[in-house]
Amino acid sequence: MKQLYYDVKKCLGCKSCEIACALAHSVTNELFKALKEEALSLPRKKILHHKGKNYPVSCRHCKDPKCVDACMACALTYDKKAGMVLHDENRCVGCWMCVMVCPYGAIRPNIIKKLPLRCDKCKDKNEPSCVKACPTGAIIWQEEIEVTK
Amino acid sequence: MKKFVVIGNSAAGIAAVEAIRKRDTESKVIVISDENYATYCRCLISYFLAGDIKEEKIIYRPESFYKENNIELLLNREVVRVDPKKNRIICNDKVQFDYTSLLIATGASPKIPEIKGLKKRGVFGFRTIENAKSIEGLIPVTKTSCVLGGGLIGLKAAYALKKRNIDVKVIIKSRQVLSQMLDFEAAGFVQRRLEENGIEMVLGQDIQEVIGNGDIKAIKLDSGKVFDSSLVVVAKGVSPNIDLVKETEIKVGEGIIANNLMQTSVPNIYTAGDCAESFDLTAGAYAINALWPVAVEQGKISGANMAGENLNYDGSFGMNSIDFFGLPVISLGIYKLKEDSHGYEELKVSDTKSNIYKKVIIRNNEVVGATFIGDIRNSGIFLRLIRERIDVRTFRDRLLQENFGYPDIMDFVKEKERLYV
Repeated sequence: MKQLYYDVKKCLGCKSCEIACALAHSVTNELFKALKEEALSLPRKKILHHKGKNYPVSCRHCKDPKCVDACMACALTYDKKAGMVLHDENRCVGCWMCVMVCPYGAIRPNIIKKLPLRCDKCKDKNEPSCVKACPTGAIIWQEEIEVTK
Repeated sequence: MKKFVVIGNSAAGIAAVEAIRKRDTESKVIVISDENYATYCRCLISYFLAGDIKEEKIIYRPESFYKENNIELLLNREVVRVDPKKNRIICNDKVQFDYTSLLIATGASPKIPEIKGLKKRGVFGFRTIENAKSIEGLIPVTKTSCVLGGGLIGLKAAYALKKRNIDVKVIIKSRQVLSQMLDFEAAGFVQRRLEENGIEMVLGQDIQEVIGNGDIKAIKLDSGKVFDSSLVVVAKGVSPNIDLVKETEIKVGEGIIANNLMQTSVPNIYTAGDCAESFDLTAGAYAINALWPVAVEQGKISGANMAGENLNYDGSFGMNSIDFFGLPVISLGIYKLKEDSHGYEELKVSDTKSNIYKKVIIRNNEVVGATFIGDIRNSGIFLRLIRERIDVRTFRDRLLQENFGYPDIMDFVKEKERLYV
């Protein structure tokens, strides 16, 4: 199962991934049209800076997801087969429990739409849009590396 | 064959049976509930009453859940007594069950104060789907209502009634809303948002009497004020359902005492959720944190340990998250310092114009509390700082900065970072 990795030495913090992410989740998928959409599409990935380096932060699809446990509406579920945390917008009531418990601060609230913003690995595409958008190849999309405890 | 009995069919009970079945697919598992409804999202009853969601959205697990997991579900049956010596429980219909290992996840019930007229028709607790449906049934004939209590449940009930175009007044004994999760200043933000949306708050006054013959007509406060009201929702806190262990060797405080394995004082009996009193990480003492995510955590640990694991539960603490008319509110751990407390530091940002309030409470260089209103981004990072008791000295000044986040704490967390290479 594929996962997003980041070579932070290469990350310039240019936010191309943020733009690509917002665009990929817009209605029109076209930059200038997307900017005029009624509800502006927001990125599910954010670049944070720390000690001179840049870190793209987004949902990691944890294997033991705290957000799924905390979801009081059962809108968040873990799909073991796909290795993904899925979100059902129709069930979500916007209570922000997931935002409260995410250990990475990777779920951001879309207050206007009352929905959490989370990486969905661009599941309908071949690969997440941020990967291609990264000009330095800092975002790596590859099979998961098993970490031995 | 081993026999696991779980009393309670909500957050803790379901998390427990899932944890058991993850490890043991053979043994017998029985879930007993005093409600007549398969497992549902208790916290959504206000959204249901408000008309925000349909009844089918309240179902927590699909109908097939029990069958697929080979769980025997017994509804509408109250366990009245636990007999630890005989490893047996007794139900209200005299039926008995024996067990190898038992989980008491009986939850809590609304506290109904001793007030004249409070037993009249039209007075409701707000805890179960049945409560919500009963209130729903009266909505067509209700114009005025009162909610007693300005806590989370009370305010959610008020929101729902208001959404149904019913005039609603919230009667709050203390001087602020949400006095169990916010300080006075923070509460002001929430109160304003509710008032802007037509919910009236009556602070510093308590109910004295419910007036009416048969049906409710009005309520009278201790200040002498009288408000028209044909419906009353009582939301003055909950008390744990622990009568079933009275006069047994199972140790109780306010709730059933759970150790770090979620075990009671009787080793093959576990407890979790709103009836369980566990170590509170921020208070440093035993407490009940009757909250959905806490119940799931505790249920998960109990279930795993019942099935033979030895998982440690660090402890609970207050964690509340709610959105009132587009104003998000999150409160973690300690939210208010007592006047005589020493050794605490507070960091705060308060901006009434943009409706943003953020506060962090630090003790011995560890975060022990955090409040976020308006801007709740990264609150999960604070939950982690509290839970993992991370020393914040090196990034203390960054805590309330705009771009604070996971990279700031990643060198200090327990789990090894693996995505950044």
